[in-house]
Amino acid sequence: MKRRVVITACSAITPIGYGKDEIIQSLRSGRSGVSPLRDDGLLSKHIHSRVFGSVDYPMEYGFKRQYTKTMGPVAFYACQVAKDVLAQSGLDQEFITSGRLGVAFGSTHGSPTVQRDIYKTFFSDLDAKFSSIGAVDYLRSMVHTTAVNISRMFGITGRIIASSTACTTSSQSIGFGYEMIKYGMQDAMLCGGADEYDTTTVAVFDNLLACSVDYNDTPSCTPRPFDAGRDGLVVGEGGGAVLLEEYEAARRRGATILGELVGFGCNNNGGDLILPNLEGITATLRLALDDAALSPGEVDFVSAHATATKMGDVIEAQAIDAVYGKGPLVSGLKSYMGHTMGTCGVIELILTLYMMEQGFVAPTLNLEEVDERCRMLRHTRELTETPVRTAAIQNFAFGGVNTCLLVRDGRTAQG
Amino acid sequence: MTRDEIQQAIITILTKDFEFENPGLEDNLRDAHGFDSIDAIELLGKIELLLGFSLTREEKEQAMAIRTIKDVVAYIEELQRSRNS
Repeated sequence: MKRRVVITACSAITPIGYGKDEIIQSLRSGRSGVSPLRDDGLLSKHIHSRVFGSVDYPMEYGFKRQYTKTMGPVAFYACQVAKDVLAQSGLDQEFITSGRLGVAFGSTHGSPTVQRDIYKTFFSDLDAKFSSIGAVDYLRSMVHTTAVNISRMFGITGRIIASSTACTTSSQSIGFGYEMIKYGMQDAMLCGGADEYDTTTVAVFDNLLACSVDYNDTPSCTPRPFDAGRDGLVVGEGGGAVLLEEYEAARRRGATILGELVGFGCNNNGGDLILPNLEGITATLRLALDDAALSPGEVDFVSAHATATKMGDVIEAQAIDAVYGKGPLVSGLKSYMGHTMGTCGVIELILTLYMMEQGFVAPTLNLEEVDERCRMLRHTRELTETPVRTAAIQNFAFGGVNTCLLVRDGRTAQG
Repeated sequence: MTRDEIQQAIITILTKDFEFENPGLEDNLRDAHGFDSIDAIELLGKIELLLGFSLTREEKEQAMAIRTIKDVVAYIEELQRSRNS
């Protein structure tokens, strides 16, 4: 059994805004969400990279303590976007709790804020303070905290998939959710990812010399995907969710179809856990096309992973060139907000859905002089008003995990 | 602590930290206020801080029979008595 899978709701909390209108406005106006790194009283003073893709606007959640007691900051992002998509979808409570709806949701490593508090206790004068490690600290910080806090808050009883593969966390969540529906295991899946403000991640990339450091005084000028002057990635935070449904059921209930997931490719490089791998990445892009039964010429737009690291962008450009040539427009959407880690796949999918609906492609910010090793692509250098029918969302992670999602616009999906 | 002091301290904890609204002494904690197993473990931690000593595993297991605020107060009184005797 193979069934069609459509997207019927989406929501994102990003460094360039919360909700569709703010995000589209930022994309159209070229507004960056990268800000100075905040003082965290621990690591920040040692980190060379002084920039972060921050959610620096106030969020009002209104969740009851009954739920918040098991939630770290990452779960607040997750539950808010989950709440948004369930409300937007119009699914009734009977279906939501029926077991036919599952959750595929993850984060890079649960809640580092809560983990940090636990370690503070570990390294203090133990005996007297041991009891201050709350019984719920594990529930707040564990790797699958986002997925199960969503299921608890909304009474979802279907399958739980808690992908945690760094930068491919949410793209895997979406891909695995798509397969759950496509092959008849679930009728709908709430998919996505979230990651909270975390300087540990910045420190890791900083020590690997992979973080941007040359634009500390001008945060909006970095990251610079594919640009000759790029000097590394900028870590960011956020959350995003999409609701996937089986096409016929969505149509029967009159749901708004925002897009159709037509293909998913996922593999592993089978070797180095850090270095980008041309063979592995190229194979992923082809796997997705094969899954969708599409030819490369049918893809109009590629949302590149494009973190703005020195080698990552070059290898990805070579892979895109090998599969697509100069066909599709290519943008690096991380140029607007940095690398939101486990969230980037879902956020980049949602931004693509917005652009498909509105008929434009946002340019790669800060792309002033294309690196000569990346010049073979059709880069989006300026805001381009153009219909996009089919797009590829590419993400690659530490650990050698690669994903590619292929999405078709809502109007085409509805036929 | 006297019974009144314990009662006041517990009501303050339940109102402030557990966001109970108008807690009644005879209220069933679970049915009236959504108090669950996670809350029970958290409350035991707060009782330890209130009393200034750690509870034994056996003492903690005895707390699983608690249903009302009145039960909580009686439980704490019994803990004090057993430690003072």
